[in-house]
Amino acid sequence: MNDMRKVERDVDAREVKISARDCQVWYGDNHAIKDVNVDIEEKTVTAFIGPSGCGKSTFLRCLNRMNDMIDNCRIEGTITLDGQDIYDPRVDPVQLRAKVGMVFQKPNPFPKSIYDNIAYGPRIHGLARGKAELDEIVEKSLRRGAIWDEVKDRLDAPGTGLSGGQQQRLCIARAIATQPEVLLMDEPCSALDPIATAQVEELIDELRKDYSVVIVTHSMQQAARVSHKTAFFHLGNLVEYGETGQIFTNPRDPRTESYITGRIG
Amino acid sequence: MSDQGHHIVASYDRDLEAIQAMIMKMGGLVEAAILDAATSLERRDEELAESVRRGDKAIDELEEQVNEECARVIALRSPTATDLRTVLTVMKISGNLERVGDYAKNLAKRTSVLVQMQPVEGAAGAIRRMGKTVEGMLKDALDAYIQRDAELAQDVRMRDHEVDQMYNALFREFLTFMMEDPRNITACMHLHFIAKNIERMGDHVTAIAEQVIYLSTGVMPEDDRPKGDRTPFQNAEVDE
Repeated sequence: MNDMRKVERDVDAREVKISARDCQVWYGDNHAIKDVNVDIEEKTVTAFIGPSGCGKSTFLRCLNRMNDMIDNCRIEGTITLDGQDIYDPRVDPVQLRAKVGMVFQKPNPFPKSIYDNIAYGPRIHGLARGKAELDEIVEKSLRRGAIWDEVKDRLDAPGTGLSGGQQQRLCIARAIATQPEVLLMDEPCSALDPIATAQVEELIDELRKDYSVVIVTHSMQQAARVSHKTAFFHLGNLVEYGETGQIFTNPRDPRTESYITGRIG
Repeated sequence: MSDQGHHIVASYDRDLEAIQAMIMKMGGLVEAAILDAATSLERRDEELAESVRRGDKAIDELEEQVNEECARVIALRSPTATDLRTVLTVMKISGNLERVGDYAKNLAKRTSVLVQMQPVEGAAGAIRRMGKTVEGMLKDALDAYIQRDAELAQDVRMRDHEVDQMYNALFREFLTFMMEDPRNITACMHLHFIAKNIERMGDHVTAIAEQVIYLSTGVMPEDDRPKGDRTPFQNAEVDE
């Protein structure tokens, strides 16, 4: 198939960034993720789609050990980042999350100034030596977050005073500030209007030049627009994983087909 | 028309069914146009030829409607997977049908000229058989569409070869007639265009069959099919 985007998006062969093997997740007795095997590529936008409760967010949260904080959550199998097991007891989850950043559904800026929202991560991870360097990181992150021009004159203003779309881009800038390698986004646009959504999507396209982006979205059109690869989850199984153009024109599994065309299976 | 189960949004099903019904209506009109045009030539029936010419307008209008409806479905529904392929193939097939309709209309126009002339022996019957073959292929291609039957579509694709061979035979026959008696030239030129146009109809029907294969399997057929039109490489001397 001559999918132009596929050609455009496939120019550089990509390495595997995150690899999951036989991944199982239980919440108590509830088997939420079943035998998931997936390779997430470097410098690629990967979308997870599927109906509510299919496990896509759960799986996303496994990728930076956010499920560690849930008491009855049990994870089996291996997940590696650059070949290293992220569930190895020697791995510090805080360090891991600096490398694997996360943006949530609802914008959640700290109740601090715009400047401090961005500076928080670099400070605790000791990424800046002195004020000048920190200023530089803040500016660079806000620029990469495509929000610098809107906030540069009011860096001392509270982050919570921004509009929803601006807050979300601020959160993305905050996630970038620790120089992560992977950015996980859980429904980053569901609380945003179409213009703010387009800005975030444009930002995602920019970010993919440097990062692996994994995005969970309920908007199939958004998955189609922003991602190179799409994974369809259903009842805890990874049903189909492939090039986005293929998934949306000629899915191989009838369950994928039913879901993306809006049919009852 | 789909074996996929229904959309959660029922009006989506109705939209897709509506554009497919339009294609079927167009297909019916085009099939009739081919048969009527060929019959009008054989029976030297100017009135029937005139009705084929007038009827082409309805086919053209349907094509317009199909395009508008498809644009609407794309804009409002963002179709994906089978739904997307349905909309894409409907648009292409309507374009092919419109072309076949135009060729039938052209056949009818030339009939009006040909009835003024001495008939060329055996030509009208051969043309009618050729028209009948293409009409049969079109009927099967449309049935294959309705049933999402890639095998039947593949069969149609392979049958285009027969039409090409019929055209080859007529091409040589017309050359012979023209060489025998220059007074046959005008009629044979018209008849040749008619035969060529029917051969082109076969190509459009083949394209429709390929769309059916794409619709039902998700991939365009890549294998070569037999090609039978050898006339580009022929000259008048071969018969001497």
